[in-house]
Amino acid sequence: IAQHHIPKKQLKVEVILEPHEVSLLWQCSKFCKPNLLDMGSLMIKPIQRVMKYPLLLCELRNSTPPSHPDYRALDDAFAAVKDINVNINELKRRKDLVLKYKKNDEDESLKDKLSKLNIHSISKKSKRVTNHLKILTRGESQVKDNTFNREEKLFRSLEKTVRHCVKNISLCLQHIQDAMPLALQSVMDLQEISHNKDDEMGYSGTLSNALNPCHDFASHLQRLTLTPLSALLSLFPGPHKLIQKRYDKLLDYNSYLQRSAGDESDLAKKEYEALNAQLVEELQAFNQAARRILSNCLCSFITLLRDLMLSAQQAYSTLVPVPLLISSISEIQNRVLEEVQNLNCVKDNSATFIERKLSFEKKKPVQILPEMPRQTDVHRSKLLSTYSAEELYQAKRKCNATQEYDINLLEGELVAVIEQRDPLGSTSRWLVDTGNVKGYVYSSFLKPYNPAKMHRMDAENRFCDDDFENISLFIFYAVHAFQARSDQELSLQEYQRVHILRFCDLSGNKEWWLAEAQGQKGYVPANYLGKMTYA
Amino acid sequence: MSWIPFKIGQPKKQIVPKTVERDFEREYGKLQQLEEQTRRLQKDMKKSTDADLALSKSAVKISVDLLSNPLCEQDQDLLNMVTALDTAMKRMDAFNQEKVNQIQKTVIEPLKKFGSVFPSLNMAVKRREQALQDYRRLQAKVEKYEEKEKTGPVLAKLHQAREELRPVREDFEAKNRQLLEEMPRFYGSRLDYFQPSFESLIRAQVVYYSEMHKIFGDLTQQLDQPGHSDEQRERENEAKLSELRALSIVADD
Repeated sequence: IAQHHIPKKQLKVEVILEPHEVSLLWQCSKFCKPNLLDMGSLMIKPIQRVMKYPLLLCELRNSTPPSHPDYRALDDAFAAVKDINVNINELKRRKDLVLKYKKNDEDESLKDKLSKLNIHSISKKSKRVTNHLKILTRGESQVKDNTFNREEKLFRSLEKTVRHCVKNISLCLQHIQDAMPLALQSVMDLQEISHNKDDEMGYSGTLSNALNPCHDFASHLQRLTLTPLSALLSLFPGPHKLIQKRYDKLLDYNSYLQRSAGDESDLAKKEYEALNAQLVEELQAFNQAARRILSNCLCSFITLLRDLMLSAQQAYSTLVPVPLLISSISEIQNRVLEEVQNLNCVKDNSATFIERKLSFEKKKPVQILPEMPRQTDVHRSKLLSTYSAEELYQAKRKCNATQEYDINLLEGELVAVIEQRDPLGSTSRWLVDTGNVKGYVYSSFLKPYNPAKMHRMDAENRFCDDDFENISLFIFYAVHAFQARSDQELSLQEYQRVHILRFCDLSGNKEWWLAEAQGQKGYVPANYLGKMTYA
Repeated sequence: MSWIPFKIGQPKKQIVPKTVERDFEREYGKLQQLEEQTRRLQKDMKKSTDADLALSKSAVKISVDLLSNPLCEQDQDLLNMVTALDTAMKRMDAFNQEKVNQIQKTVIEPLKKFGSVFPSLNMAVKRREQALQDYRRLQAKVEKYEEKEKTGPVLAKLHQAREELRPVREDFEAKNRQLLEEMPRFYGSRLDYFQPSFESLIRAQVVYYSEMHKIFGDLTQQLDQPGHSDEQRERENEAKLSELRALSIVADD
């Protein structure tokens, strides 16, 4: 009977839609008895009747003496009919509550919202807030429904899952749509380079087909996965709002539990229970359906991916002739490249900076270093005991002696600095003691010795060395003196050593290099510089 | 021709025959185009491999997000499906990475190496051009002296100019000849050089896609309703959605 409440509205709508039926009815009613009821009155008859029964039975019961045999039956009947009415009411309350709170908030303007504010609503809201805080601080509320909680948790997980799926799958689709045409384009470009224009043009036809699978994939994915999931996602906010409302009602009911029962607490209880029951029932259905949709969409996604891979494979398969091993590829290519590089036009004109400086190097004989005894532990302990910690340094890298009185060092060898200058007064060359011999090394090759940090520093330094290997390997010196003509340039003395920071100037001109010497930086002409190698 | 007032507008004397010049331009033009192609292709391939990697990363994200959701904890079927999907996606990522590495080694690196030859070639052409300018200049000088009256000092200067001209002319002709001979060879070498790359690229793609097809094919077998076709699923989804919309707790749109 209670279902009539809803269908009544729908029935009204249906009647409007079928005007010929209405006219038929009207015509019938014209020819029929004048006191025939219209549709609306007809529909309301059962409701009126149900409401009459309790009253009827009540009167009957009141006029029956308790000793009458029928009294019991009457009593039961009365209770039953009252129950029916209560149930109908509660069901109606459930639907009404849901309807009331389902209304879209976006339809309300700010004015509407403000007009709803009054003492009553404000006090209601503030009461709820305090109750909420009470629950948060003191633990569980007295009213709990485990079934609901479970369903609600499931609901929320589903929402999160669906939302993530929509986002991630869309992103993946985007990437597929980007990547596959790009790959195809590259293949076609490479084909163009590697083949003569005249022959084998038949390939391009089959390749362009591979673009289509991507297109089909996109449209199918939209239809089978993304659209249903997005539609599902849009259905979540409605129940979400009702869940919030239920929580509010819970808070209200909770607050009344502490006080004595009354009309207000009764109402709160009824409202809460109505909303709760409705939500529990329908959330279960919702969750089940949602989960089904989710797994369907995922299955479709996977199937589509499989098909996409197949068509891509087929597209590319038509082109592969003979399989080639990787090793033979590099062999072939290296051979061809060598041939090309051996072409005179290439050989004579390779423009690397090392080659340009070759003229300075050609005459330098290879230095044969005498076998130097290496530092042993005895030497190291002698150093450690003789010198204080500040004087002890460690070689960052292997140092080779190039000048008179220089000594060789291996990486990590310990030295004690005797003097931080050389006979010529340069402070970049230091006199050191290895415990075995004394001689000169460049200070830039030394770092303060710290036994605690040794292991870590080694790793760091190794990294730095590799970085600058190519540059610091070549220390340059000025073959001729150079006079700076502006403050961008650096004056050099003959045979002065410089450290090169950059092998071109700001405009990329390779004739001028940025050099540093004695703490000053400036540009120097490249052809004034000669290279010194420390192998 | 001294009566012509606009000496500047006079066309340069053709010391290099037109046909030779034309051949040179043509060959060099082809090589310039090749350089451009190589450079562009290198960039495109890099973009393509980056896009591939982004693709597999986002695919993995799908399954990882699904797995991390508490939804799967209670639902065993869903958990199985998502775990299988996750495995598949991670394998896809691994294979993709391997494919990209392969492409890097057999296509992108060779492209780079091939491209590094062009600066030398361009330098050679520039030097030939310089030599040509020198040649023209000296030739003009010689001709200038030839036109003057044949007095003693002029003859001496003429002789000197001719002496200067000779090595320059020879240098230019040598450069010209060298380039004309070697440019076509360079151009032709690209075929042998790039064909293996092309084959390797195709093969990498084929291997990758056939693996992927197998992986996803196996995955579809593992799904909980392998029998359903796409249409069935679509219809079921529609039905479920309308069922949901009929629920009273769902907002009317």
